[in-house]
Amino acid sequence: MKKNDSIDAENPLDKPPFFKSWKGMYWLVLGNLAFLIIIFYILTKIYE
Amino acid sequence: MRLLDWIVLLGTLGFIVIYGVAKTRGSKDIEGYLKGDNSMKWWTIGLSIMATQASAITFLSTPGQAYEDGMRFIQFYFGLPIAMVIISVTIIPIFYRLNVFTAYEYLETRFDLKTRSLAALLFLIQRGLAAGITIYAPAIILSTILGWNLTVTNVFIGTLVIIYTMSGGTKAVSVTQKQQMAVMMGGMILAGCMVVYYLPESISFGDAVSVAGKMGKMNIIDFSWDWETSWDDRYNFWSGITGGCFLMLSYFGTDQSQVSRYLGGKSLGESRLGLLFNGLLKIPMQFMILFIGVMVFVFYQFNEPPVFFKEATKQKVYASPYAAEMRELEAKHQTVFAEKQLAVHGLAEALRTDDEAVIAAAESKVTTLTATTKGVRDEAKALITKALPNEETRDTDYVFISFVMKYLPVGMVGLLLAVIFSAAMSSTASELNALASTTVVDIYKRSVNKTGDPKHYLNASKMFTVAWGVLAILFATFASMLDNLIQAVNIIGSIFYGTILGIFLVAFYVKRVKGNAVFMAALLAEAVVLYCYYFTDIAYLWFNVIGCGLVILFGLLLQPFVGKR
Repeated sequence: MKKNDSIDAENPLDKPPFFKSWKGMYWLVLGNLAFLIIIFYILTKIYE
Repeated sequence: MRLLDWIVLLGTLGFIVIYGVAKTRGSKDIEGYLKGDNSMKWWTIGLSIMATQASAITFLSTPGQAYEDGMRFIQFYFGLPIAMVIISVTIIPIFYRLNVFTAYEYLETRFDLKTRSLAALLFLIQRGLAAGITIYAPAIILSTILGWNLTVTNVFIGTLVIIYTMSGGTKAVSVTQKQQMAVMMGGMILAGCMVVYYLPESISFGDAVSVAGKMGKMNIIDFSWDWETSWDDRYNFWSGITGGCFLMLSYFGTDQSQVSRYLGGKSLGESRLGLLFNGLLKIPMQFMILFIGVMVFVFYQFNEPPVFFKEATKQKVYASPYAAEMRELEAKHQTVFAEKQLAVHGLAEALRTDDEAVIAAAESKVTTLTATTKGVRDEAKALITKALPNEETRDTDYVFISFVMKYLPVGMVGLLLAVIFSAAMSSTASELNALASTTVVDIYKRSVNKTGDPKHYLNASKMFTVAWGVLAILFATFASMLDNLIQAVNIIGSIFYGTILGIFLVAFYVKRVKGNAVFMAALLAEAVVLYCYYFTDIAYLWFNVIGCGLVILFGLLLQPFVGKR
């Protein structure tokens, strides 16, 4: 346990890039999924 | 294959192996060998995770799947981003807090040794079989297409992987996967550009997509659900988002070949970001590979495809008493194709007019001729079965590689073969590394020899890497052709993953269920999943949900009767 604490202290990436918290990053991933599903649905409808 | 292709192929593979060995040798203990001294950055982890999942089967079978069945396979991956978020929030922090080498170590902390050993054994069986298929799948296809000896191809792929995986452990796997991903993506993008470039001048990219759509290949999403029939439908939105999510949770959260990818991260944040990187990019990557398959389909509407893509099988029929019948079918196929080619040109022109009546008439003509072509292909397959009763008649795995070999220019053939070899090597390396770490940490060090020094366990890890590699090569050599290679891997995974995931979910979230109950629940759930596989028509993605759900249900039901341990 101590080992990992020291690893985190050495190289802190406790915040993701471009976002204030990890929650923002999670929403980006889920939002991207929703966006892709919408795009795919539109493509399916256009080309069916 | 010409000299330049050989230079590109062997040069690429040689560089990756030498780079992997040179960059990563010298681990002094299993901390360095199995966890890469916790030095991996998030982009290395992300690429490594993607390269582990993208095996050679992905690049051989997926375009063929799109050629035959359209884009709908993409729905299989819809559960992946959700699974990445769940694992990042819940599972990675636990693994980091406990500083584990393998996912199964955690189960002893939460339950007991027998549950840890059971999960480790289920993993070893499942992944040991899959490692054989990972080597065998590209080897059988390449040996058939190129005339290479199957055993030599198996041994060649297996040995290259064993060299750097044994030498550098986890770090070597991750470092080489970065180069392999670059080769894979570069090669596929170039191949995609070439397919579009090879379309007739009168057919634009937009025309090609429209034609593919009218011929049923742009069936990306299907939201429909029928309570009686949709359970058997392998790929629709609902099975993808639920069954796919369970499969991915299990694969990325509990399968050591993936867990070891992110446990080597420099910090919890790096590991998390690596997984989320995969959550963002995996679906676009699969979309691209499937779309290349659709473009190959369109290409073959204007260039005559073979009546059967596996040329070696066709040659065997020509050497049999059924040669005249096969020749007749090929002539018939040629005639229908010539007519269909004109009809597809007509459809492309009709689509430009926006006149619905004209489009409907052209579409109807193409549909009729497509059915006729399919009929001729089915006749050819029936003839193959008659002439060669033991021969496999599914040829979708050969569609893409046949296109590469016949139409791509010199040099690019070597590059595309390097893509396939790189993919096979990247997945196999992760598998061997995970099989060795699970065998050493969960079985050997825990139950067989508890008193060895660090050097002893390091040597044992290297020895088990070689042993699993040799076993995978042997399994690959004796494996017979399965229904569809990518599905075979996913079916084997789905049979075991649900149960393993169920054990982990109980461990994480159902605190009142203890070791004895979860152990018995897992055995019962696995028995039910095996029954479903052998005796029902339920689509395999649902096995993940069934196995997982039953472990939780049986665990809760059994707990009051089996005591507090």
